[in-house]
Amino acid sequence: MLAEDLSANLVEIHDLRYSHGDREVFAGLNMRIPRGKVTAVLGPSGTGKSTLLRLITGQLNPNQGVVLFDGKAVCPCSRRRLYATRRQMGVMFQHGALLTNLNVFENVAFPLREHTDLPEELIRQIVIMKLHAVGLRTAWQHMPSELSGGMSRRVALARALVMDPKLIIYDEPFVGLDPISMGVIVQLIRQTNHSLGVTTIVVTHDVEETRRLADLSYLIADGKVAARGTPEELQNAESEVVRQFMQGRADGPVPFHRPGPGYAQQLQSMARA
Amino acid sequence: MNDTIRDCWKSFGQFASTFGGFQLFSFRLVPYLPSAVRRPWLVTEQIYAIGALSLVLIMFGGLFVGMVLALQSYSTLVEFGSADSVGAFASEALVRELGPVVAALLFAGRAGSSVASEVGLMRATEQIAALELMAVDPLERIVLPRFLAGAISVPLLAAIFSTMGILGAFLVGTVLLGIDSGVFWSQISSRVDFYPDVASGFIKSVIFGVSASLMAVYEGYYAQPNAAGISRAATRTVVITSVWILLLDFILTVVMLPEA
Repeated sequence: MLAEDLSANLVEIHDLRYSHGDREVFAGLNMRIPRGKVTAVLGPSGTGKSTLLRLITGQLNPNQGVVLFDGKAVCPCSRRRLYATRRQMGVMFQHGALLTNLNVFENVAFPLREHTDLPEELIRQIVIMKLHAVGLRTAWQHMPSELSGGMSRRVALARALVMDPKLIIYDEPFVGLDPISMGVIVQLIRQTNHSLGVTTIVVTHDVEETRRLADLSYLIADGKVAARGTPEELQNAESEVVRQFMQGRADGPVPFHRPGPGYAQQLQSMARA
Repeated sequence: MNDTIRDCWKSFGQFASTFGGFQLFSFRLVPYLPSAVRRPWLVTEQIYAIGALSLVLIMFGGLFVGMVLALQSYSTLVEFGSADSVGAFASEALVRELGPVVAALLFAGRAGSSVASEVGLMRATEQIAALELMAVDPLERIVLPRFLAGAISVPLLAAIFSTMGILGAFLVGTVLLGIDSGVFWSQISSRVDFYPDVASGFIKSVIFGVSASLMAVYEGYYAQPNAAGISRAATRTVVITSVWILLLDFILTVVMLPEA
């Protein structure tokens, strides 16, 4: 049973606890990312989605618990092992995070040049192929500053895919895009998942797009998994937090007013000071 | 009163942690040194960006400092009837002191601030994080080449600064002040020796180069990833480097001055 579980999930997070200063970000988080599927990690802003991404990629060290990638613990303790793990992951950053002093071609070629000794001719073929897959083959000479937001993300996707990773993580891929760029990104995420079979994690707060895209969704709230299931299951969930988030209500379990002392009390204490 | 003491203690703590962090950072760079030998083009690229592109400023600065030096020293030296040694005076001052110091100060202003803000901006735009996630060590790929390029460039720039300064002094001395060019050069060759003059200037410029470029990459690498943080990193690079270079220069001069 256990062995089967291990092979079915590329990433497993067990009882993860992480605090940032005094604030407890995760209090016993459990998560399984099935192989070859698109998993969405949803949650209101400030619930630590980006922190989760950093924990999965080993940029941060959990206070307790473990993150398993392909059956092995992701552990910032050994740099060599961590880097070996990261070579099997690709991350598409919210703003692309392309290297600004290199052109599009060199940005996509960068991981190949750093990690392989492939001949120039082969590098050229791989890079052009990856750029073609994201539809930007002809933009290979452009500098990152000349690209729009959506195009930067597509180049970043090509770069993330160039080493043929087992896992690709999209960090807020839908933020600030026009409908066409949005459609392109959605299609690319689906395409890379289907055609290459890459396990995909989409970290987002966009409920609509998630519904179109995800095989499985996790909703994180209060440092724990508030709900898990297909988008439909989440839509019909009983939990108040889940319903507030899915329906976008301003007030509910996640309060409109930041918690603290009462209105009158604050006015009084400020007057005294 | 209590608050003053607490503030002082806090500033001292901040100073200590910056100073300690700076040293730890330098130690962390040491194991990467062999990788620069493996990929020298990463360093040469940076030598072009921060060394070669500082050339115009350095040459311009050197020329005018040399010219002013000749004019200023002439007015004093002529009273003692040794106007001919204007060249010797200027070149000694340039080679031993002004070359290394002013070149390093100009370097801190021109290249140090740009390196600090470039690296800081790379952190702010998640390029550093992206490198880490591509299993590329940013210390090796970004920080080390910039540091080495600065450390290599500053001694060369100081030498060019001094050369331009001597040329400037020569121009002013022969054209404006009417010193015979043969006398000018022979005075220089009899007064300025490789050891101790050029050697001590070279040692100084190496030490200044290492400190200036280390400070620039340190401030950039640990800059707060926002606009205010990056501008502060650039400012701090220039201010701290300048103070540090002037202080070091005094110490080094005391240590290296010949017991004449």
